[in-house]
Amino acid sequence: MLLSVLEAGPLHGYAIITAVQDRSGGALELRTGTIYPALNRLERLGLLRSSWQSVGERRRRCYELTEVGRRNLDTERSAWQAFTHAIGSVLAPATQPRPVS
Amino acid sequence: MTAVGTRVDSADQAGDPIEDYVRVLSTALRGPAQVKARMIQEIHDGLTDAAAAHSPHGAPDHHAASQAVREFGTADDLVPELQRELTLAQTRHTARTVAVSVAALVTCWLLMRVADQNTDWPLRTLVGHLAGVMAAAALLAASTLAVTGPLARRLPVPGRLPRVIAWAGTACSVAMAAVALTLAVTAALATNWPLAVLGAAITAVSHVIVGASARACRECARLDDRPALASSR
Repeated sequence: MLLSVLEAGPLHGYAIITAVQDRSGGALELRTGTIYPALNRLERLGLLRSSWQSVGERRRRCYELTEVGRRNLDTERSAWQAFTHAIGSVLAPATQPRPVS
Repeated sequence: MTAVGTRVDSADQAGDPIEDYVRVLSTALRGPAQVKARMIQEIHDGLTDAAAAHSPHGAPDHHAASQAVREFGTADDLVPELQRELTLAQTRHTARTVAVSVAALVTCWLLMRVADQNTDWPLRTLVGHLAGVMAAAALLAASTLAVTGPLARRLPVPGRLPRVIAWAGTACSVAMAAVALTLAVTAALATNWPLAVLGAAITAVSHVIVGASARACRECARLDDRPALASSR
């Protein structure tokens, strides 16, 4: 999720939180503090890089995807779409129920 | 950027939920100073942004700050996750310190050996064994840098690795102290005694640097294993 909201461009911590909440239509209620260790971990793994940038009147730590992060996002997105498609196919109502013998 | 610790300690911010929260985190967490300061600063910025978003006029008030802190999660919940990252950062820092120090020392000793032609140097075997301990620690440190860096995307980082690297660093530091002492004591017998004294001094400095980093790593590893904070916020 964090990687996907950074796909469009660099964001700082609080902007990432609001982006996740906005994208989920408010369905995802995150404990906002959990974002920070997660960002740290993703940066350590080389999926993100960060730098101090001026945002408005203040300097903020902004994160952006690395090339490895972008590839990782594509892989994870494909795997998730395949998974949800498979589950969706199972849960979809059957159009012609099999007759009981 | 102002260092968060300084700001929190110096300002009279009693009653400000954000400053109180940040102070609790800052007190509870241990790790490399720069990484910790950056982490705390980011959390402070995030809380300030959240409070501003909750405030109708954009200027955070006490109520908005309290709401931002509530949504952030309790310190009890967050400290273990944050400490885990700081512990790994300290582990990498200690591993880097060990690897660089040992490489520098071995180069230094080789240069000393070339410069000092005395092949009958006393306690040569002892120093050889101690250098072996340091080389083993350096190899472990190099592996740690790989396992906690690029390889971490494919392999899980072993939970006991910080403790292992902390004690490897401690062993390396003790070996450095023994070598420094040996070099200092036997300097009088060396053909080129100023060189031997210089070698002892460099080794002693390395002992202090590696020892301090290993001690910090031990403390982080200990905190990483602790139960959640007693007081929940």
